[in-house]
Amino acid sequence: MTDATQIQTAVAAPKRKRRPIKLENVVDHGVLVVGALFMLLPILMVLQLTTVPDAEIIKNGPSLKIGDQFDENFQKAMFEADGFSGANTGVRMLYNSFILGIGFAVGKIVIGMMAAYAIVYFRLRFATLAFWIIFTTLLLPLEVRILPSYEVVQSLGMLNTFSGLIIPLVASATATFFFRQFFRSVPEELVEAARIDGAGPVKFFFDILVPLSRTMIAAMFIIMFVFGWNQYLWPTMITTEEDMFTLVRGIKQMTQVLEGASLPEFGRSNLLAIIAIVPPVFIVIFFQSWFVKGLTESDK
Amino acid sequence: MKRAGFNTPWLPMLLLLPQLTIIAVFFYWPAWHALQSSFYLQDPFGFGSTFVGWENYTDMFGNREYRKIAWFTVLFTLLVTFFSLALALILAVKADKVIRGAKTYRSLLMWVYAVAPPVAGFIGIIMFDQSWGPITEFFALFGYTFQVGVNFNETAFAMVLVSVWKQVPVNFIFFLSGLQSIPKSVREASLIDNGSANGRFWDITFPLLAPTGFFLLIINITYSLFDTFGVIDTIVKGEPGNNPMTLVYKVYVDGFRGNDLGGSSAQSVILMVLVLALTVFQFRLIERRIHYT
Amino acid sequence: MTRLTITSVAATIALTGAAYAQTEITMWHAMGGALGDTVNQIAEDFNASQDEVVLTPVFKGSYEETLTAGIAAFRAGEQPNIMQVFDAGAATVIGAQGATIPVQELLAANGVDFDIEDYISGVRYFYADSNGTMIGMPFNSSSPIMYYNEDALAAAGVTPPETWEEFQDTTAPALVEAGYIPMAQSHLPWIFTENFMSRHNLPFATNNNGYDGTDTKILVNNDAIKAHFTALTEWQDQGFFNWYGTGWSDNQAPFEEGKVAIWLGSSGSFGGLSQKDLGFEFSATYLPYWEAVTTEPTQTFIGGASLFAMSGKSGDENAATAKFFEYLTSPETQYFWHKETGYVPITEAAYEMAKADGYYDEQPAAEIGIKQLSLAAGENTRGYRMGFYVQIRDVMNREYGRILTGETSVEDAFQNIETEANELLERFGKTQG
Repeated sequence: MTDATQIQTAVAAPKRKRRPIKLENVVDHGVLVVGALFMLLPILMVLQLTTVPDAEIIKNGPSLKIGDQFDENFQKAMFEADGFSGANTGVRMLYNSFILGIGFAVGKIVIGMMAAYAIVYFRLRFATLAFWIIFTTLLLPLEVRILPSYEVVQSLGMLNTFSGLIIPLVASATATFFFRQFFRSVPEELVEAARIDGAGPVKFFFDILVPLSRTMIAAMFIIMFVFGWNQYLWPTMITTEEDMFTLVRGIKQMTQVLEGASLPEFGRSNLLAIIAIVPPVFIVIFFQSWFVKGLTESDK
Repeated sequence: MKRAGFNTPWLPMLLLLPQLTIIAVFFYWPAWHALQSSFYLQDPFGFGSTFVGWENYTDMFGNREYRKIAWFTVLFTLLVTFFSLALALILAVKADKVIRGAKTYRSLLMWVYAVAPPVAGFIGIIMFDQSWGPITEFFALFGYTFQVGVNFNETAFAMVLVSVWKQVPVNFIFFLSGLQSIPKSVREASLIDNGSANGRFWDITFPLLAPTGFFLLIINITYSLFDTFGVIDTIVKGEPGNNPMTLVYKVYVDGFRGNDLGGSSAQSVILMVLVLALTVFQFRLIERRIHYT
Repeated sequence: MTRLTITSVAATIALTGAAYAQTEITMWHAMGGALGDTVNQIAEDFNASQDEVVLTPVFKGSYEETLTAGIAAFRAGEQPNIMQVFDAGAATVIGAQGATIPVQELLAANGVDFDIEDYISGVRYFYADSNGTMIGMPFNSSSPIMYYNEDALAAAGVTPPETWEEFQDTTAPALVEAGYIPMAQSHLPWIFTENFMSRHNLPFATNNNGYDGTDTKILVNNDAIKAHFTALTEWQDQGFFNWYGTGWSDNQAPFEEGKVAIWLGSSGSFGGLSQKDLGFEFSATYLPYWEAVTTEPTQTFIGGASLFAMSGKSGDENAATAKFFEYLTSPETQYFWHKETGYVPITEAAYEMAKADGYYDEQPAAEIGIKQLSLAAGENTRGYRMGFYVQIRDVMNREYGRILTGETSVEDAFQNIETEANELLERFGKTQG
């Protein structure tokens, strides 16, 4: 919120600035501050809920009071397991989510880049057909083909493995599509120049195309990491061993209450929800310049 | 494909192989099963099964509730798409304009992108809790009882709001990228030509953003149709009741929850056709766009 | 990832110790949060109580997710030994003969004494087939009961209503006078439909409530229940009743806050209610009935879920499963489960043990569920068996919601429920062909 205070000082002490403060600027900042609050307030509220006892939340809900339960909830969320084997602690689930997010992102990017390269840069008789075969996979989300997908994964012996978790999710063409768009925006002269220099397709790919795609790869990585990290239904289906549970799944285990038969662990699950959003949020914010740049370039 | 390419015959095959293998095994094979199932009524455990032809489809279209859900889906998609785009556009234009704290605003406005849909829905439930939800209390200040889970329209409002909250950042990022890729020369020229900021926006910026907008339109429609699943599921607390739901949620309710494999497969097939139409439409647009830029 | 595999293998070895002769079995369940902790506790105690069997419970999401995961696993030959299935999914799993081993046969085959008469009356037949053979072992068994705020009733000068007539004429007006919302409830299909039929001994479906075949028709469109829903809408207008949506907790919360004086919930809710610092004394009693419908109200049947032994497992594993069921139904385990969670003990012996221990002297409300399940039985109090019942419940929830928000009339709603439920039943019949 440093910017909000900056605006205020700027308004309060206009003489220090050369540029006169225009009403228009104030409105601009006002709109942005309201927008930022719209985004931020709900999370701050959840954060507040992690500091008060569960019984109080059930009675009163969010308030402005900051309680003293944060440390205890943090301990529980990170280091206590909710399951039978004691394996699914917050730390373990965090680790699994990371593997899922990173594995998914890397898999998508590598496979997508290869396929897009083949489609865009080679004279292939069936390039269009291949493209459509690949592109049709955007049509059917995993939720609606989940039973047969499960059977396939099982018959390949991939239940409770990271590859079973990741590879079926990779079977959709979002990254291929983005890379295709990007490659098509790369000036054609580059290929011609490379060919004149006698560079083969492999050399061209690694020496020219990959460096050129850096920002695009970064953008893809962020998008895919977030997507993989946030999966819920598929990990629930495919993992039965508690040391394979991911965070988004773990939250559900904690919040589920049947017939009001027990007290939901609000504090702990809220904190786990916060923990679950921190890594992807951090990645998005930290790499935002690449992210925006990657998208800007692909957009040509 | 007019691009000057390489002629190596085996390399592209090799490059395509991983992608094609994965989608053949993990996409086409299961999708084929879904298509087949749509003509059967079968015991989920795999014991009994009856071939029923088009009955799953006729039952579906004959069902008044299914048609209602389809209409709600259209309305929901329009609302979510419109508000996500409009809000994001306003914020992007402002964020592109300000100099001070541009980066901070950008961070603050884009991070929600990373929140998992079930977590977003979960936050929504807290916000709209009937006893103490802050938004419920806000409405109560005006003497209005806001009841998510009871009143159809109010529940729909909560779904739209949470879905928009989750989607604004994506659109914001794309719009901002679009704005920042408008060349300086164009901006400077327009500054001379057109005095009013408002006029400049509608005459110059908006048309230049149109390609991004078209692209986002499709992205947002797909988002509203499919990716809001987690939000809807958490807001209705797994019990659809008299609450609104979308077509994808209905597939889930009948197939995943209710184990009606045939019925839900038929619904999936209809959705596939719908998205196929959208995709073809999108391609027309994108390909055309590439031609004129 | 190699390192990882090695560590997990090492961990498994360390956990099981010299485990070469042990049989390992798994159980998939839907008990999250504190209930899950209790399930884990039972599993640990079971594993510690003997050294032949190691049971691993796995949380698989909601009831629906657990069932679907189990189905997918069964189709792939990866099913667990034990799967928890909820009441509405009973027809699906029992209909698929060959997917499960009837618990009664399993126990008999492995030399465990089984007598259905040992079980509490309302528990016996819900998960049984039409011959009365128990297929699924009732696990977290609950029944809808009436909780009330003792302070509120005292303030209004009334006693908990035994009949709906009493509620309407005496209790509710007095409670309104005292500044309370008289009543809320948490599950319309379960409390005001399924158990409404059972409480009044009314048939819920043809074919002996669905037990005797799949060409079943629902009998929900009857005058007694329509009169009940008409009364509900009138009570709503008079401020006697409030509906907070289909979500369970949304309806429970106002009771906990002391706004609502009477709440119809589950006997299983007792555990949650007693953990909360409510700020008032609460107790419970039987579900009221309409004197206009019957003067001899009958028992209710169980909801919740039961455990099914999946087929396709080795004899050793089945024997291990039987061993666990034996442990689970022992009075000690049942009493522990009952005390920890509020769910009812399923056997008479466990109930006697709780009584002898003086548990109900401290917590009289905890006994209500069992007592209600043990009231006089009738021909329509066993339960119901209808396919695609999850969707039928969805239809009921939807139409009831519309009645209570004034979008439809009672007459139209029940007409719709009847039509759609019968369509679903017909479709389900074809899946069994």
